[in-house]
Amino acid sequence: MSEKPGRERKPKALGIILTFVAVAIGVAVVAILFHAQTYTSPVGTQVAKSVGTVTVNGQTLQHVTLAFNTYPDASGSVDGQAIHPGGNPSWPSYGPTNQFQVPAHALVTVTMRQYDSGGSLNNPWFATVRGTVGSVARINGRLVHAVNPNNVGHTFTVRGAPGTDPGFFVNVPLPAVPGNNQSDNGQYETVIFSFVSGSQGVYGWNCEYPCGTSVAGFGGPMSAFGYMSGFLHVV
Amino acid sequence: MSSDLAVKTREPDPLPPEKAPFFSRPSGKIFLIWLAMTVVGVLIGFYAPHHLLPTMLSVEGRAVWATVVLLTVLAAPVAAFVYGVGFYSLVAWRQRGYGQSDEPPPDGPPLRGNSGLTILWLVVSGVLVVVMLVWGLAELASENATHPNSLQVDVTGQQWLWTFSYPGAGNLETRSLVLPDNRTIVFHVTSEDVTHGFWPVELGVQVDANPNVVTTIQATTNKLGAFTVRCSQLCGLYHSFMYASGAVVTPQAFAVWLHAHGASALTASDVARVSSSS
Repeated sequence: MSEKPGRERKPKALGIILTFVAVAIGVAVVAILFHAQTYTSPVGTQVAKSVGTVTVNGQTLQHVTLAFNTYPDASGSVDGQAIHPGGNPSWPSYGPTNQFQVPAHALVTVTMRQYDSGGSLNNPWFATVRGTVGSVARINGRLVHAVNPNNVGHTFTVRGAPGTDPGFFVNVPLPAVPGNNQSDNGQYETVIFSFVSGSQGVYGWNCEYPCGTSVAGFGGPMSAFGYMSGFLHVV
Repeated sequence: MSSDLAVKTREPDPLPPEKAPFFSRPSGKIFLIWLAMTVVGVLIGFYAPHHLLPTMLSVEGRAVWATVVLLTVLAAPVAAFVYGVGFYSLVAWRQRGYGQSDEPPPDGPPLRGNSGLTILWLVVSGVLVVVMLVWGLAELASENATHPNSLQVDVTGQQWLWTFSYPGAGNLETRSLVLPDNRTIVFHVTSEDVTHGFWPVELGVQVDANPNVVTTIQATTNKLGAFTVRCSQLCGLYHSFMYASGAVVTPQAFAVWLHAHGASALTASDVARVSSSS
């Protein structure tokens, strides 16, 4: 008596099911890795420090502060805190983190130390301070609207993702320290600026000075998450 | 093979006699399926763009809309025929009793060439292709027509922002793209770094922004409203963040906007000239 063909097909059906399960698991793993790569930082998120309230254009807002720096290489540490743990030591980097969290519709005052050398911007438009209170930044104690577009170390440029405030935009050029190579000589420019955060959401920030490698200076640290780019989480 | 192992197989259903009512024959049933699917396809062609496409703010955007409708309507009867025959064949002419016998299914009736059907197929296909070709060439020609009083806008893509400059307004450079209504806008598009894709969605035009190359594309605004500029080329880490807001406004509002956004060096006549469509 011959066996029914229906029974012979079972291993084939099992194979198809296992294939689907394997593909589903693969997709899930890739999605989890992608999400983790996108929204995590080697040293976590810097939550803005509340320092009271302030009146801006007649509105009373919560006042918070952030402090971070830009470094010519990611190998060192500042105040015992590694700049970019596990990162490429020869790439310039923001530090100590690239993830910041601020409350919505608050005045955010940022204090930065810019340790890196620099050069010319691809687009001089980014040499102008935009989106800050008064459209100014205080650089080494002096209020400025713009810097020399041919002497920029990095920029801190923030914009919203689709779904957040479409008009939100902050651009602060950070002047280069003297020197023609990217080695930390201890000199820095102090840059202080304030902006009013937008509505809740994730905002992306990056550097617009071509401090990377390969294509137009936008490869390497400019194209790898965590060095010259990050996210501003508005909660 | 012993007789007790012989498995009964169903012979194919005899085709209805030619004098049977048309809708009782396979061709009649396929025709009904085709007709129903064609009607559904045509309805989708007319109504789906309202849900799939944004409100277009330019002549070119309306042309995109019309093209989507036309091609969907033209494709509907063709797709309905292919799927109709396929579905009917799968159901009516499937091999019944699969798995109950080791015998192969019986052969179907032999098929011979049908000159009339071949000619019909070629003619219908040819007409459809020619219609699409003529339509496409006509739309392309209208998009490349020159307009004497067009507004020039320089578009620069850089990772990961768009900036826009108005050469006629003292090279005023902005992050948002504001345009006057009823005016042909000529975009001069380039990139500071890698290849980006300039895509003002609701204007219905799109062109690559290449480094060291200026590519020109134009659109004629004909409706007030807001639009979004996106990047259509995967350009790096924050490609998904690379968008800008834009708006088509009245010429008067455009003049006000120029003044408000730092075109302070402009004289009143400069602003009037840039913002006027006449």
